[in-house]
Amino acid sequence: MDINVKVKPNLQIRAFYLFFIIAGIQLGVGIIGAPKFIFVEAERDSWLAILIGFLFMCVVVGVMFFILNQYENADYFGIHVDLFGKWIGKFLGTLLIIYLGASFLSILMTYIQVIQIFLYHALPNWIITSLIMILVLYTVFGGIRVVVGVTFIFFIITLSLLTVLYDPLLRINMYNYLPMFQASFPELLRGAKATAYTFAGFEILMIIYPFVSNKRNAKLPVYLGLTFTTFLFILITMLSIGYFSAKGLKNIDWALLILVKSASFTFLERLDYIVVIVWLMVIIPNLVLLMWAMAYGMKRLYKIQQRKTHYLFTGIILIAVNYFQYGHQITKLTDFIAKTGFWIVYIYPLLLLPIVLVRKKLKSSGRSKPS
Amino acid sequence: MWNRRKRSQSDQSDEVIFPLKIDELKNLLVETFVNSSSLNFTKYKINNKNVAVFFIDYQVEGAKLGPFLEPLLEFDSDKEFTYQTLLNGLPLSTGSTSNTLKDIQKKLISGEAFIYIEKEKQAISYPLTIKETRSPGKAETESLVLGPKIAFTESILKNMNIIRWQINSTDLVFEEFTVGKQAPREVRIAYMKSVANEDDVNTIRQRIKELDVDQIEGTIVLKQYLEDSQTNLFPQFDETELPDRFAYNVTRGKIGVLVDGSPTSFIAPATLFSFLESTEDLYMRWQAGSFLRILRFLAMFFSILVTPTYVAAATYQYAIIPSQLLVSIGQSRAAVPFPPIFEALLLEFLLELLREAGARLPTKVGQTMGIVGGIVIGQAAVEAGLTSNILIIVVAMSALSSFTTPSYLFGTTIRLIRFPLIILAGFLGLAGIVFGVSFLLIHLLRLTSLGRPYLVPIYPLRLADFNKVFFRTPFSYESKRAKSYRPKDLIRFNKKDAKQKRDIDE
Repeated sequence: MDINVKVKPNLQIRAFYLFFIIAGIQLGVGIIGAPKFIFVEAERDSWLAILIGFLFMCVVVGVMFFILNQYENADYFGIHVDLFGKWIGKFLGTLLIIYLGASFLSILMTYIQVIQIFLYHALPNWIITSLIMILVLYTVFGGIRVVVGVTFIFFIITLSLLTVLYDPLLRINMYNYLPMFQASFPELLRGAKATAYTFAGFEILMIIYPFVSNKRNAKLPVYLGLTFTTFLFILITMLSIGYFSAKGLKNIDWALLILVKSASFTFLERLDYIVVIVWLMVIIPNLVLLMWAMAYGMKRLYKIQQRKTHYLFTGIILIAVNYFQYGHQITKLTDFIAKTGFWIVYIYPLLLLPIVLVRKKLKSSGRSKPS
Repeated sequence: MWNRRKRSQSDQSDEVIFPLKIDELKNLLVETFVNSSSLNFTKYKINNKNVAVFFIDYQVEGAKLGPFLEPLLEFDSDKEFTYQTLLNGLPLSTGSTSNTLKDIQKKLISGEAFIYIEKEKQAISYPLTIKETRSPGKAETESLVLGPKIAFTESILKNMNIIRWQINSTDLVFEEFTVGKQAPREVRIAYMKSVANEDDVNTIRQRIKELDVDQIEGTIVLKQYLEDSQTNLFPQFDETELPDRFAYNVTRGKIGVLVDGSPTSFIAPATLFSFLESTEDLYMRWQAGSFLRILRFLAMFFSILVTPTYVAAATYQYAIIPSQLLVSIGQSRAAVPFPPIFEALLLEFLLELLREAGARLPTKVGQTMGIVGGIVIGQAAVEAGLTSNILIIVVAMSALSSFTTPSYLFGTTIRLIRFPLIILAGFLGLAGIVFGVSFLLIHLLRLTSLGRPYLVPIYPLRLADFNKVFFRTPFSYESKRAKSYRPKDLIRFNKKDAKQKRDIDE
């Protein structure tokens, strides 16, 4: 297996699109329910907790860039094999792929749950799944450029959903924000940890990076993407706190969807229905990026055709979704992903850093000796 | 047996048949030439030599025969009388010689007149072709309010002439190709040598050269052969019958293709948005041009989405309709015994029938049809309780919107897309519509035209091209050609000069 990847010019993407890839994969089902989880921990200072989460995330991305820059054109799979040898490296790569697959499933299941509760109570899981999988498969068969294109266009289209938030914004009760700065530091940290599931997804950077054509300009769009997500996250959380009372928010599962319920136009009402359905366009970028990353990883590790992985994984998903019939099962899955995700996405790169540094030193000293 | 004879003929036809006696030649031609009944074969005796003149009478222009025969019959008797001296002596240009049967037959059917002097090695021929064409008329399928009204005709020569006068530049290239094994046709690709992208020109050249078909039926058929994906619903090259639209695109770096005998041309590469452009946007003031372009763009979405949304809202998500509107929809639907999906499909089907009938019938009857269909049937359908009033408005709006598309081919595509969306909306409600629209978007993202992305200034994003695609700016801001097509020369004129401002009272 090659550690560095050679990417054909017609498959490369401009660094500019990294903004949409990062923001697109971070904004998904997490943000619908996240305000509650953070509010439970950090109360009225949730925005501080999110900011702490953002800073930590920036450090992690910085480390990721540092690791990537030690190599010519490598990704997570190549780096693993380079650092730990063939067997352990491939094992770690496989774990990463399994994690990606599990988060795919958790996103899908959460969305199916939302759809079933809001709109179609009796529609079986497998029908919704097969419809979504048709879209996902059709995209990933188009290759990386179509995947990025879908991320980009769907992101732009769904941005228009934000206009619906004007209505809760006008109805905010400012007293709900008072008193401020009451949360203790451990509470803030716990609040920051609660953002992990929503913010997760930027690990895709470690896989898609070799495809970026102008790597010098890659940092800015990535950080801007992180900033955008954070801004949106803070906006929605603060809106929820101002709109619902403190007591109310603790009992609301999908704060974002309840927020948009009150907006109405003279020709349109119940915008939450529309938001729930158009949210499909928000999760499709999530799903296609994860699906692409998985299949690409399988190709890198075991030289299995991407097409085959897609079919196989679709089969597994179609069977697996039928197992989840109750809300608590989905909550369990999501909690599990949130916990493991925290370690894989946020902590693991920090652990990898010293190993990369030591190896670099060994290599340079090894090189300098013969000369 | 017939097969064997044919094969032996073709073997024979490649050989040199001359020198021959006149009668032998005549027999040979009558035997082997399938069109021998219309062959005009005349013998003359000039300077003591037998001379044959032969041609197909309906392919040759009678008025041209006089200046062709006269100098031949009055040929100076002092000179040596051979095919070379004749070729030099006749006051006609573009004479050519041939000595195989195949060659002669090919030239005969394309309208050349032959002279053969007995016992010579070559026969001489002159093109006296007559080609029946109509003179250029007014555009029928793409009508314009402003701008030139002339449209392409069936004659490629006339078309090229019209384009030459539109783009009077030595830079314009008409490259010639012949397509079709059995019935060859002349195909020309037109592009600006210093502007058009070399790769695109090479791609289309290669596609035309590699095309292996017996014959093509015209431009639109050739277009389908050359497209990136033939199984696709969307047209991938832009067809037009307007020379000004053709010229506009060619000068902006695209490649135009003309086919002999076909009154339309097509332009490559195309994007989804180029089908919504009309040259009229250029002739308007920029504000009006932008307005019309955005209007057409909205009309496309409207036409696709409005009926499915009605079906979805009336079947499943009626909560999204405000209560006052819901009451009137409910009242008008009260008498209708069908589910909304059936109602909508019925009315859309009726409308498509009207449209198709209107297109097939002669113009005068067609107009009456429209009135009968629109007023009488619509009113009757409501009174009979087959459909609701509101649906008639919805369907009429979507039909009107689909008429705004300047390209007829693209308009048809939009007509077709509606039906699967209505069915999806009928089964899944709004989720079906969002699913369908997402599918369409992914589909469009996967499409290419001549290897270039189909959604080009949106993805890949090129903000600088937005003023050439989605709206219009004053011409002083359009100093560059669209970057999306990667022309060789991006600059049209100097931006600084165009923006130079004079001081007051100068």
